[in-house]
Amino acid sequence: MDKNAAKYIFGFALIVCLICSFILTFVSQSLKTKQQLNVALDKKKNILKVVSLREPLGDGATIDDILNTYDEKIEEIILNTDGQVLEGKTVEDIEEGDGSLPLYVYKENSGAVAYAFPVVGQGLWSTMYGYFSIEPDAMTVRGITFYEHGETPGLGAEIEKDWFQENFVGKKIWDLKKNELRPVSVVKGFVDNVVANEGDKQYYVDGISGATITSKGVTEMLVDELDKYEPYFSKIRQK
Amino acid sequence: MAVITKQDRKNIKDAMLDSNPVTLQVLGICSALAVTVQLKTALVMCLALTAVLALSNVVISIIRNHIPDSIRVIVQLSVIATLVILADQLLKAYMFDVSKQLSVFVGLIITNCIVMGRAEAFAMANGPLPSFWDGLGNGLGYSAVLILIAVPRELFGSGTLLGYKIIPQAFYDMGYVDCGMMVLAPSALFLIGGIIWVQRFFSGYTEEA
Repeated sequence: MDKNAAKYIFGFALIVCLICSFILTFVSQSLKTKQQLNVALDKKKNILKVVSLREPLGDGATIDDILNTYDEKIEEIILNTDGQVLEGKTVEDIEEGDGSLPLYVYKENSGAVAYAFPVVGQGLWSTMYGYFSIEPDAMTVRGITFYEHGETPGLGAEIEKDWFQENFVGKKIWDLKKNELRPVSVVKGFVDNVVANEGDKQYYVDGISGATITSKGVTEMLVDELDKYEPYFSKIRQK
Repeated sequence: MAVITKQDRKNIKDAMLDSNPVTLQVLGICSALAVTVQLKTALVMCLALTAVLALSNVVISIIRNHIPDSIRVIVQLSVIATLVILADQLLKAYMFDVSKQLSVFVGLIITNCIVMGRAEAFAMANGPLPSFWDGLGNGLGYSAVLILIAVPRELFGSGTLLGYKIIPQAFYDMGYVDCGMMVLAPSALFLIGGIIWVQRFFSGYTEEA
């Protein structure tokens, strides 16, 4: 048969496409559950990390340990923009743009120990994804973590390092004097050099040198995200 | 027929040294810069690329006599793309953490000139078995360079190898500081440049004017 005849070329192309697409469909379908499990596990790991459990999971924690601890300690609730809990909804029900917000409540026997929620913001190069958690007083930061970003290694990517994240622990997001939201912000340089007033230092964390735009992005991200959750947290504060 | 002939051995050796795809043909540089901050990601990348290269060479070599000339490049690409997506899917399922770090670079194996280059230059003209060895050899040649770059980058950039602390804490206490530039892309460029220089110094290879 003539290899350069149009019929042959189209036929050959069709067969190649069919075989390739069949292989890919088969593989993607058979690995789907495993991949989704990985994504879900990664998310749960991050939430457990950000609420900093009283009995932290060690490095040797197995997948079952993580899943069990998560199921035992973390309650997922869904809020609407007015801060009301939407009963009967789960995280899977959230659709892009419908305004509902997931909140992860870390509970010990005595009640809520921490609230965690996802934060998303723009850095210099990329969108930064992470989780933020606050204490039950809804005023004090308990932790922050980033699990995906594309910032410059050594500069903006320092946001994923422990030293940067530990700076947030114990800082405040609520101005007691003015009684209003005052999200902790990232300064340029060191807090001790930049912020003169001793009482104000609890609203600031050290910046990353050489990564001013990433630092600013983190500040803006916290303003936006805390604002969204404020209707709910203001109720907690009144209790 | 021998599984691996003398000629095949010579091809593998050549691919790793005298016609190394990275240092002599200067192909695949993009991924060599991007994934060599840590040795672990570099190793997984090498594994993925070598597997894709060897298999795509075999597949293309098997169907080489049936591929119409006018669509030969796009057929090669379809085969390569299928294999790359396969590798990406497998990594996502079984090595999730590494696949997160490698992010788009596994997918970008499709555009890695080494894979296309070997398919066009070797697999289209040789049988499946020699093609397999050729793919393997070129994959190993790429891997050798990546590892040569990744080891100093991780060691001096983060003081670790495969995540294990190598540089003792005592050094840090005495004022030793990790070299920040090693984690940035330019350091890989300097290292590749250095490797190429050393290799050409010994082989006497020069670019024709």
